[in-house]
Order: sequence, then structure tokens, then C-alpha cells
Amino acid sequence: MSLEGFEVAVVGAGPAGSAAALTLAREGVQVLLVERGTFPGSKNVFGGRIYSYALKRLFGDLWKDAPVERFIRKEGITFMTSDSSFSIEYEAKDPKGSFTAVRAKFDKWLAEQAEKAGASLITDSRVDDLIIEGGHVKGIIAGQDKIPTDAVIACDGTTTSLARKAGLATMLEPEEISMGMKDVIELPADKIEERFGLDPEEGAAHVFVGECSGGLRGGGFLYTNKESLALGMVVGADDVSMKTIPSHTVMERLRNHRKVRRFIRDGKTIEYNAHMIPEAGPKMLKRPYTGGMLVAGDAAGHLLNNGYTFRGVDMAIVSGVAAAQTILEARKKKDYSAQSLQIYQRKLREEPALKDMYTFSGVPRYLRNNRLYNVYPELVCNAAEAIYRVDGNGKRKIYKELRAQTKGKVSTISLIRDLLAGARTF
Amino acid sequence: MSEKQEEMTLDKRLALISFNKDPEPFIEVDTKLCQKCEKKPCLYICPAQVYSWQDQLNYNTEGCMETGACLIVCHKIGAKAISWKYPSGGKGVSFKLG
Repeated sequence: MSLEGFEVAVVGAGPAGSAAALTLAREGVQVLLVERGTFPGSKNVFGGRIYSYALKRLFGDLWKDAPVERFIRKEGITFMTSDSSFSIEYEAKDPKGSFTAVRAKFDKWLAEQAEKAGASLITDSRVDDLIIEGGHVKGIIAGQDKIPTDAVIACDGTTTSLARKAGLATMLEPEEISMGMKDVIELPADKIEERFGLDPEEGAAHVFVGECSGGLRGGGFLYTNKESLALGMVVGADDVSMKTIPSHTVMERLRNHRKVRRFIRDGKTIEYNAHMIPEAGPKMLKRPYTGGMLVAGDAAGHLLNNGYTFRGVDMAIVSGVAAAQTILEARKKKDYSAQSLQIYQRKLREEPALKDMYTFSGVPRYLRNNRLYNVYPELVCNAAEAIYRVDGNGKRKIYKELRAQTKGKVSTISLIRDLLAGARTF
Repeated sequence: MSEKQEEMTLDKRLALISFNKDPEPFIEVDTKLCQKCEKKPCLYICPAQVYSWQDQLNYNTEGCMETGACLIVCHKIGAKAISWKYPSGGKGVSFKLG
């Protein structure tokens, strides 16, 4: 393939990159989509769920062609101590709102849609640098190839070397990243449906908080695929480093908890994978644009963990589309200067799906409170134990029991402060 | 409770992943600096335990899942000894079920 004549280079064929390339190609832009893996998705790892609206926007009714594993009917959360657990489950009216997926299939499919629309995909190609002239990005450098373009969209993930090379980012702080790890555990479809109380094609998403993280800031997750479970942990990078607990050891903690053991029993682990998660949100970049270049997806912090929903792929898609639309407007004006591209910032803030990042911008700070992982889950479990246990030794009324449980664990002031801050943050 | 529980270790986990070794070294560590590193955060952050310690820092890039977290903790908490980039195009880890 000749690498001449491309107007836009999109770096990284993940959801942000492929959505951007697709949007540009549909408008007849000559777009090159560059991926370092042997196929799109081969380097990508996530927990397991994608919110459907983002795909509906891109494809209308055809979104259903996407490689869906299961539509999420059940949402659950479990608070756990070493030998007890307290779970809440919600059964959604309509499961079509989100689905589980496998990135090696999903990202590949999305990149294929971009190709069908006219984008040129090259794989096995690592972009090493940018062509920068007078502070303006003029293309990309991949190995021996210098590829001049009018604009670049960097969708190169959390480590985003391109945003750093363009001077838009410095290295992230350990407090701003988490380590996500997961086992994919094979299990027959009927077993999954029986175990989780699901109809065929329906799935479950579950979050675990408490003992499983071994005192670290973090938690566990479980998603049901068609014939496998995605079971993983996410832990704060600074916490792991300072407490000197090897990150992968929390996987065994989670797997060995009685609650989780029942979910995965007789299952066979078929893959282990891991990914670094940026937790700082859009402020991880000075700004997501510079002359000749925009940044989207994980690379720009376009994701959201607000403690109960974990969103990355939908936001990556929407931000990729916003970047493409910005390029389309700049193309009309034939002006790719930083000033021309700064409307991207406004698009991000006005886009309802992405606005959530700003609405919940206080969440990362709130979630740094270790009581959420080390105190409250145990409190919930112990309170439930006290409420449900009848041992003939006499029982206290529920309120008194709850008060008794907090004694020595958390001061009333901290508890109230955490509750109030929670109400403001969420 | 069924006792057919599968025992997993990190070695077993890593054996499940496909790697295509990059002949070029994409991780390089100035291990002299590690001697003075107090926290040695790379030993803990890496989910593949690429880094280990036996009198000195040892590293084996073959299990690297390319998260890039070692670089950050090394430079912010550790001795700034690690240089890290992604493996060459098409090399390194390849996930089937990410």
C-alpha cells in the first residue's frame, strides 16, 4: 500500500480510532488507520461491557450486527468479608442497553466497518513519532515510513506516547492509574444461565468490594460472555506500590472467596490479560488538541469509573466521532491550526454522553477514600449478620445494631462526612 | 461446595497467553540504579511479574502484557531506571479474549 495521499492518520484501531476513521471515511476523507497489533483488538483488554447507545448512533439498527456476547439483564454488587458477603441485584427492564463483548472480536469488527466505509487499515505497525514542523503536527513516523498528513488523531491508549510527544501530556502519576487484570474462564452457556438465573443470550455484570482487594483500593468484577466468564480485579497503582502487594495476588483472593468460587466452579481458565486504566479523566491532558492533532479515547482520559458504572468503549467511540467531526469542519476551512481545532474541546463538553465525565469529575478523589474498601464493606456484612442471626442471646433493634457495628471502625464524623460527600459526588 | 476448584498460579496464567517475541529489547533497565531504589515498585505493579529481585533486578520481557505501568511507577516512585516502549509492530503479546 502506498502511504502517500492520506489526509488524516488515525493512530490506534481501538474503538476511538475506528469510530473516528469510520466517520471520516463516510465523508470521503482519505484516512489511514494504523494499528500496532497483528489485528485490531489483539492488544486491547477491558472488563467486559459496552453501552449500546454509542453503537446505535454509529450504525442505527445495524448495530445489532456487532459481535455481542450477552445483553446485560442483571447488575449486581457484593460487599465481602473473608467469610461472609452481602449482595444486591438489579434486574433491568430491557437488557439491550449494554452488552458484554470480547475485544479481539469487537474491535476487529469495528475496524472492518471503518474499512468498508473506505478507511485504509494497516496493522503490525507501531507509530514511533510525529512529524512536527513549527509546533504543528504534519504527519506520523512509523519505523522507516514518514507519512505526511493534514491531521492526526491520536487514539493510542493510556500510555499515549503521541500526546506526550506533542507536548499535551506529561507522564501520569501512579495515583492516576489503576491496574486491571482478568481471567477468562470457560463455562458452558447453559451453566452460565442456570448459575446466574438468566435466559439465553442474557448476561450479568457483577462488582465485588471488600476483602477481595486485600486492603488495596480497588475491587473485582465479573461479566458473563456467551460461554465464558470474565473475572477480574482493578487496583490502584500507587496503593500496590506503597503497600508492596504484588498486583496479581488479588486475583487469587477474589477467586477463592466462597461467593466467587460458586460462580466459577468447574470452569477452565483460558486466558489471562491485563491493562492499565487511566483514572484522572480528561484532565490527564493539558488539552486534547494541538495544531494538526486531536487526541481521543483512553489517550485523552475519555472514560468514566464512577464506582458503579465502568465506561470506556462507549466514550471512546463518542469522542472518536467528535474528533472526526472536528476534522471535517477544519477540512472545510482548510485550517488545521490549534485555533481551528479548539472547537473539539467544546464538542466534548457539550456532548451529553461525554458530559458525564465532567459531571462525575469529583469521583476519582472520592474513590481514593480507603474506608470504601477496607471499612464499609465489612460494616455492611457485619450488620447483615447481626440482623439475620438468631442465636437466642437476645437481639437489638436494627438501628442500635447498626450503631454498634460502626463502633471502633469509623467515627460518626467520618461516616457522615463520607455520606454527605458521596451524595454530592454521585 | 465442589472441590473441583482449579488452582491458578501466575505461571499457569502466563502460559495461556500468546507472545511473539520482539528481537529488539523494548524494555531496558539500568539495573545499577535499582540497587539504590527503596520502594522497588516495579516488583509489585506488574501483573505478569516481569521484574524480580535476587541481589539485583532481573527482568524477563517475555511475559510482558504491555500495560506500561512499570514505567510510571519506576519514574514516580522508583529509581527512574526503566526505559519502556511498545514492542515493534506485530510483536509482543496478542490477546484473543481481551
